[in-house]
Amino acid sequence: MANYDGYLEQQRFTCALGAIQTVVSIPRAVPILHSGPGCGEMISGFFDKSRGYAGGSTSPCTNFNERDVVFGGIDKLRNIIDNTYKVLDTDLQVVVTGCTGGIVGDDIDSLVQEFQDKDKPIVSVDTPGFKSNNYVSHSNVVNAIINQYVSKYEDEIDEYRTDKKLVNLFASIPYQDPFWKGNLREYKRLLEGIGLKVNVFFGSESRGVQELQDIPKANFNILVSPWYGKAIVDNLQRKYGQPYTWFHYVPIGANETERFLKQVFEFANNEGAELSETKAKKFIKHESKAYFEELDNLATFLMEFRFGLPNHVHIVHDAGYVVGMVRFILHEVGLVPKEVFITDNTPDKYKDFILKDIKETSDKKDIPVYFEPNAGHAQDILRGIKHDGEGVILGSGWEQELAREKGYHFVSVALPSTVRMVLTSNYVGFTGGLRLIEDIYNTVLGAF
Amino acid sequence: MNENIRQIAIYGKGGIGKSTTTQNLTAGLSELGKKIMVVGCDPKADSTRLLLGTLAQKTVLDTLREEGDDIELDSILKTGFNGIRCVESGGPEPGVGCAGRGIITSIGLLEQEGAYTDDLDYVFYDVLGDVVCGGFAMPMREGKAQEIYIVASGEMMALYAANNISKGIAKYAKKSGVRLGGIICNSRNVDREEELLTAFAKELGTQLIYFVPRNNVVQRAEINRKTVIEYDDNSPQADEYRNLAKAIDENTMFTIPTPMTQERLEEILLEYGLMDIKEEAV
Repeated sequence: MANYDGYLEQQRFTCALGAIQTVVSIPRAVPILHSGPGCGEMISGFFDKSRGYAGGSTSPCTNFNERDVVFGGIDKLRNIIDNTYKVLDTDLQVVVTGCTGGIVGDDIDSLVQEFQDKDKPIVSVDTPGFKSNNYVSHSNVVNAIINQYVSKYEDEIDEYRTDKKLVNLFASIPYQDPFWKGNLREYKRLLEGIGLKVNVFFGSESRGVQELQDIPKANFNILVSPWYGKAIVDNLQRKYGQPYTWFHYVPIGANETERFLKQVFEFANNEGAELSETKAKKFIKHESKAYFEELDNLATFLMEFRFGLPNHVHIVHDAGYVVGMVRFILHEVGLVPKEVFITDNTPDKYKDFILKDIKETSDKKDIPVYFEPNAGHAQDILRGIKHDGEGVILGSGWEQELAREKGYHFVSVALPSTVRMVLTSNYVGFTGGLRLIEDIYNTVLGAF
Repeated sequence: MNENIRQIAIYGKGGIGKSTTTQNLTAGLSELGKKIMVVGCDPKADSTRLLLGTLAQKTVLDTLREEGDDIELDSILKTGFNGIRCVESGGPEPGVGCAGRGIITSIGLLEQEGAYTDDLDYVFYDVLGDVVCGGFAMPMREGKAQEIYIVASGEMMALYAANNISKGIAKYAKKSGVRLGGIICNSRNVDREEELLTAFAKELGTQLIYFVPRNNVVQRAEINRKTVIEYDDNSPQADEYRNLAKAIDENTMFTIPTPMTQERLEEILLEYGLMDIKEEAV
């Protein structure tokens, strides 16, 4: 449930219905909205380039109106689903509810069951906006797909976890992470580099429903997240006995990427993947070498250009990025992270270890952390903070104005943002670290 | 809308006799020359059956469903016994949709279509069961009923519901000005019923406005789809309803109820012997 202090300004996420983007990001899947007119438009408007295969204005919607509230909207939904099959060529249909359908209590599960009984690849999920935000409902949608769609293919599989080198990756939340496409591609490339095969499910690197059907065959799961998505790997552990390895934050740069790959490598071999240590080491060494060569170039640049450069950074982002960026920026960019703001409405039970992950970044620097789903409030705090020297704000497009006000440099790295175009850039991995360095110094140099 | 219209909502536990009481009471008021409209706020749409002599009335929501919200008043507003205008809100099928929203939609449409004419003296809302959600509180919201009467009997659950409904009234009282006009006892012939209801009403800060005795003529009239006044004009029960109508017409006691705790409610029940049988059994 939401945990806001009376009001919420500048939220950096959407309501539960935002999980339609999880569906949109699966190749050839379509969300069917049982919601009011405008809900889908609001959601796709919040995200960037959010249309995908059948998202945005393509997604069918019941446009729930007063008549549907009073009499229930099930017949209308049945009609919309029927018509979806006539006009859209899709491999998976996911029916999601908005607030009105949720309050009225329309029994979408039974309706969807009618279509499931006719062997349609269709799933229903309860996602009324008041229920949670999209960080939470992303897991609900994925779990609904696992429980209602993937489970239909269980019978075709004699045994679970048969492919010892295959893993399911749950990391970036599609669209909520502005770099999700590039990140998932990079995760896949890195994990394949150490000898694994990877289901990424979302984006162009996914094989679509075929990957979903292959979920039970995977040996284990990888969760890269401080908290969101954990419900998915827990579900898979219960359902298919798949263990998971959990990396708490976004691995950016050499230190954390190596740590991530080593963790996964050891876990994989403990689970019988029989990955070649020589090959994995060779791959990591190669990647690392390329990375440090560039860092070397950066050091030269910094030495020559030592005046007028920033010395500290504020970050406004979700927990996974805040922790990942703090670690990377302090140790590999050489800037000092000052106050950071976590805007994902983190559940209380995960806050302690997020704080621990940040504290462990350095025994010399104390980095104040604010858990602030009310990002308007976060901005107020940031507005009142003063540090010597030039600073950088890494945040959403909404921080641009504040950065101007403070005379800070600004890089758009979070949602929502209308001031940056992201297509395939990634912040994950060795290359992601370099990309973030480029972004920071392009901004800095652009100011001269 | 004419501010002099007395708008009255009748609440009470399901099956307590709200519809029967409302229709007989309005029949009594019509004999006093009052112009009345009865708005049934129950998805079952059986609030005006005795006044119209038929159940076949098209409801507001049926019309909305079939024809959209461009409603002709004539198609939903029927005139029954003694010129009483009858309209049924109606609602969804059991188990689907939202009946509460149905009431909100329906009353909104009646207002929009000009059903509340200036010549009316009374509008009665016959509301189902308990105030389970915002929709069922619609008649007691601002600009709607100013007076509420709760139909109850000497049975524990009827009083429990009445107490609960009073909580709803108390909640809306400050903002909308709604007041409780009293408790109408629809007698079930239980021991010391009138004393119990009097004490219960007093504790609620209201009055037992009328005690309607039990009489089988009510059931006979109902089977014949008539109010008692129409069915057996001279029966003593017809006079009881005339007296109830008079009591309501002349009522001046309107209060904000003071709902009691469950413990206090049970104390009163114990005091008036309702729990004797249970105790004897123990």
